[in-house]
Amino acid sequence: METIWLYQFRLIVIGDSTVGKSCLIRRFTEGRFAQVSDPTVGVDFFSRLVEIEPGKRIKLQIWDTAGQERFRSITRAYYRNSVGGLLLFDITNRRSFQNVHNWLEEAQSHVQPHSIVFLLVGHKCDLEAQRQVTQQEAEKLAGAYGMRYVETSARDAINVEKAFVDLTRDIFELVRSGDIKIQDGWEGVKSGFVPNTVHSSEEVTKGGRQCFC
Amino acid sequence: TKRYSVHVIVLCDPQEEQMRDILSSCPQCPPSAGRRKNLEFEPLSTTALILEDRPANLPAKSMEETQRHKLEYEEMVAGAKRRELKEAQKKKRQMKERHRQEDIISNAMVIWNNEILPHWDTMYVSGTRRVRELWWAGLPPSVRGRVWSLAIGNELNITAELYEIFLSRAKEKWRSYSETSSVNDSESDGGASLADRESSLDLIKLDISRTFPSLFIFQKGGPYHDLLHSVLGAYTCYRPDIGYVQGMSFIAAVLILNLEEAEAFITFANLLNKPCQMAFFRVDHELMLKYFSAFEVFFEENLPHLFNHFQTNSLTPDLYLIDWIFTLYSKSLPLDVACRVWDVFCRDGEESLFRTGLGILRLYEDVLLQMDFIHIAQFLSRLPEDLQSHTLFNAMANTHMVSRNRRWAQVSA
Repeated sequence: METIWLYQFRLIVIGDSTVGKSCLIRRFTEGRFAQVSDPTVGVDFFSRLVEIEPGKRIKLQIWDTAGQERFRSITRAYYRNSVGGLLLFDITNRRSFQNVHNWLEEAQSHVQPHSIVFLLVGHKCDLEAQRQVTQQEAEKLAGAYGMRYVETSARDAINVEKAFVDLTRDIFELVRSGDIKIQDGWEGVKSGFVPNTVHSSEEVTKGGRQCFC
Repeated sequence: TKRYSVHVIVLCDPQEEQMRDILSSCPQCPPSAGRRKNLEFEPLSTTALILEDRPANLPAKSMEETQRHKLEYEEMVAGAKRRELKEAQKKKRQMKERHRQEDIISNAMVIWNNEILPHWDTMYVSGTRRVRELWWAGLPPSVRGRVWSLAIGNELNITAELYEIFLSRAKEKWRSYSETSSVNDSESDGGASLADRESSLDLIKLDISRTFPSLFIFQKGGPYHDLLHSVLGAYTCYRPDIGYVQGMSFIAAVLILNLEEAEAFITFANLLNKPCQMAFFRVDHELMLKYFSAFEVFFEENLPHLFNHFQTNSLTPDLYLIDWIFTLYSKSLPLDVACRVWDVFCRDGEESLFRTGLGILRLYEDVLLQMDFIHIAQFLSRLPEDLQSHTLFNAMANTHMVSRNRRWAQVSA
């Protein structure tokens, strides 16, 4: 049976190829560092439940996109239905940091009329010796765009949980305050199944039949 | 060992027991426990005791009891023999089936080698029913690469020499890249073209390490690592307008597994030059949408329930077809099944790729109908590892690529 959750948020993960998007997501959803993972062709899907307050669970549906420039004409179609995004660069690869504003522009021009809550992620922070981007300049850039900044490492499991949970909390607050509204035909935020409502009993009866999932 | 086990029971008497004790106490001899493990019918040595008289301090067996024990014992031996016989028969059947399969393959191999390949041009064009059926049943691995390369053809007229030229250009590029990158900080690099080239080289390197990682042959230090690197590198020099696109490493790898180097490159370049592959690897969005909507026409025609279910869940074909088409199913299907899909692709062209997709959906229709968006999306990007080619091919055989009297070519045009 489907676990009960308050909302479902669709998050999109973007950034240059080879910055480690899939590894970060797999660390978060599978709890382990994948030594080898398939290259993402098009888009790949992950999901996980996050408890932001005791008893308040959010289901995250995470879209992992191909980073290669060539695929942007495909992936740009996926912004519109996302409520949040993790924008990754690799702290050991200056170019991936320089491309951050391209990614933001790309996203902003294709998300209309909605908007995406972005979190800037400096990935591979375990490779301190090869660092090409300082924390200060990354924070400055994030501040300029009104984003939070966090440095993560999928290999050493640093801040991975924090990155996703912080973003989820931010979105949750915006939903609670009414700044983000659930709309028909928009997949960014979906209302979930709350116990003791008609909705949940429907789910329970359905659950009996669909034990497969 | 099974024969031996029965033997033991029959011979098992107090003297033998003693012998065994002596044997087991001898350090050079295998311990009796080890010997017992070899016996299929574990309780044998104790069941044999059923025939023995009780120790002197216990009441002796009555005649009836002895008789009953004898019967029980015989029953056990007979049971063991029945089991053995059954096992032997099963093994025989399996061997027979294996021989049958081997016969089919070697027969097919003879037909391909003696009858079809020598007359390829006429055979392929005429496409007789017999050849088509033989083809559908799966190409024998020994002729697979040859048939693929013949079927894909060489419209581009690439020669082995031309491959060498592009390969040496690629090697030159890698050399200059590794020299400049050590001196140059990437911040000071010039135009976007250089940046693109670098990222493409990095990307090839990274992707090679993630191409069929479980086979351990394309990864660094593996026997085919350099080959895959060469073929992909030469291609980016041959077609700089297309360059390296993710997904290509899988196609090149499958070809390398079946063809020698230059032939693999020639087939790779010609395969990517097919209209459907060109549309996808150029990421020509307009054309891709055309393919997707044509796919949906046949999807609705063949599997209306599932089609509706996908629509309700906003599950559009791009979400799974992109991965399938870009890698010609070699990333999401087990490799042996993928090779059979390639066989049919070489026979029937792009239409078969979409037919394969519909075959997969048909095969798992019942399961997919019970799933929501995220489960379907995840299921389709990671298909079950135990997917069998015969079940997929049955599902494909039941998929009809005709909609309102229109065939694939007309619908997708």
